[in-house]
Amino acid sequence: MRLLMHNLLRRPLRTSLTVFGVGVALFLLCFLEAVVEAFNTGVNMSDASRLVIQHKESLSFNLPTSYKSLIEQTEGVKRVAGGVWFGGLSQEQLPGGDKREEFFANLAMDLENYFLMYPEIKVPEEQGRELMSDRNGCVLGAKLAARLKKKLGDRIVLRSTIWGQPSGPLWEFNVRAIYTSDSPTFDQTLMFFHLKRFDEGRMFAKGTVGIYIVSISDPARAQEIASAIDKRFQNSPFETRTMSEKAFNLKFVSMVGNFKLLFRSIGSAVVLTMLLVSANTMMMSARERTREMGILKALGFTDGHIFRLLIGEALVICGLGALLGAGGAFLAANVLHLNPKPDFFPIFYLPTRSLLLALGIAALTGFLSGLVPALAGMRLKATEALRSV
Amino acid sequence: MAAIIELRNATRIYHKGETVIHPLDNITLTIEAGDFVALMGPSGSGKTTLLNMLGGLDTPTSGEVRVCEQDLAQLSPRQLARWRADHVAYVFQAYNLLPVLTAYQNVELPLTLLRLTRAERRQHVETALKIVGLEDRMKHRPDELSGGEEQRVAIARALACDPQLLLADEPTGDLDAHSAQEVMDLLVSLNKEYGKTVIVVTHDPKVAKMARRQLHLEKGVLMKDFANGDHAPVDA
Repeated sequence: MRLLMHNLLRRPLRTSLTVFGVGVALFLLCFLEAVVEAFNTGVNMSDASRLVIQHKESLSFNLPTSYKSLIEQTEGVKRVAGGVWFGGLSQEQLPGGDKREEFFANLAMDLENYFLMYPEIKVPEEQGRELMSDRNGCVLGAKLAARLKKKLGDRIVLRSTIWGQPSGPLWEFNVRAIYTSDSPTFDQTLMFFHLKRFDEGRMFAKGTVGIYIVSISDPARAQEIASAIDKRFQNSPFETRTMSEKAFNLKFVSMVGNFKLLFRSIGSAVVLTMLLVSANTMMMSARERTREMGILKALGFTDGHIFRLLIGEALVICGLGALLGAGGAFLAANVLHLNPKPDFFPIFYLPTRSLLLALGIAALTGFLSGLVPALAGMRLKATEALRSV
Repeated sequence: MAAIIELRNATRIYHKGETVIHPLDNITLTIEAGDFVALMGPSGSGKTTLLNMLGGLDTPTSGEVRVCEQDLAQLSPRQLARWRADHVAYVFQAYNLLPVLTAYQNVELPLTLLRLTRAERRQHVETALKIVGLEDRMKHRPDELSGGEEQRVAIARALACDPQLLLADEPTGDLDAHSAQEVMDLLVSLNKEYGKTVIVVTHDPKVAKMARRQLHLEKGVLMKDFANGDHAPVDA
């Protein structure tokens, strides 16, 4: 072990640069994994006991609000909540007279039923009552409230890019509740307000919703219940497509494109580069020490000792790189909660499995990069090694 | 006195393309425990090949090599490495200390192969360095030592495991006359006072005269084998 450490410190600059190179590569890999995870936020929030109903053709088409009572009659359905994507931008008046607009997800929802279907959402009882009694009330996620610097009782103005009122595109709401969640994967950057208030105010598509969220009594019967709902509205002017909440969110994510493939391709290239950097260092390091390996063998060290020495060096280099890269990424994302784009990634963290993946890749890279020189060192004949300069 | 080395018809053949090279040709030889032997001959005569064979670093193409009552052909590479650690030590012309380790650590290196406690290792290292007169240089790295001191550290490393057989490949080849004399005096004292069997490969007749016996090789063949009698025989 001592010899191993001395060998690593023999060329401190080269070792440091290799460790740094491996660290940067693993940091990038972890960052990409965190981005993929951030894209999957909605998917991770999904629950098997919830279904989502949309228009059979596309999310661009709405469904009548009259469907709600019909859906509720379907066997196995516990509760139904309609919702509409609002797509508003919050408007903040700046001191100089300019306005600052911020994007975040905001939806008009049948709040009473919605909250009952999402036990993950925690709203203090008093705030819940205030919200329900104020038709202009809205509820913000705790992270969103912190970002917008809004507190209970504040007003928030949204400019919708889709929905207008007779008075114009601006909609005013009162912050009546701030929700939190005990689930680390639940998005706390959403804003909800009353569907009824929204439906009364909007200038078109009244009496419709974009989606229905349905809670069911038995997740094992999800497919059966979904088929029953779709069958009920078959051949009607508004045919439905019912799917699990997870499938819906995955479909939503896939609309962005196959980013997973893209990011994982970049990640693979990064890992390959890391392997080459590490392997190059190990090859150079081992080649410089051919004679020393001969000396060790002459002293009585076995081929196995030489193999373990070289593999060990590569593993230590990649281990230190992992500590720097993966550890740094974990520290930045999970401890310091640094988020490169909070409005785009409501939840940004490095999942434990990605951290383990990075550590596994580091270990594998260490092993593979040390394998060729270690095998060569093992097979080296002491008599030949001692002749080398 | 018991034989520590027995070679019977030991032959080593290399193939270089279509050329067949015989660095050692049918050597039969016995060396007794506690002897001091100088191995001489021109370059390419097979001295180093013979030395490597005695240390188990090289194997004969045919014939038998028994060292310390062990037929080396019977040992696997792993067993051979372990046997080497227990019975044989090398001293090289170029000292061959590991440059990243201090004198202490270099001497300690072969001891890490044995089941010794840290305190036992320390005792062995300090004793070995004291024997070669370098107990005050144990924290120095090889690049902080003179050539003669480096070779003495190499001898201390060879002594640390208390081997029966000391194989030295031109140990004075890179040294000035004064340092060479110091190193040879040390080897002679190890032979006389500690009873180590020493085999020295050398081109230097003065060095060879310090041995008790001389073996002369030419083209892989043992041409001369005679006693010197320059220093008193060791009581085994």
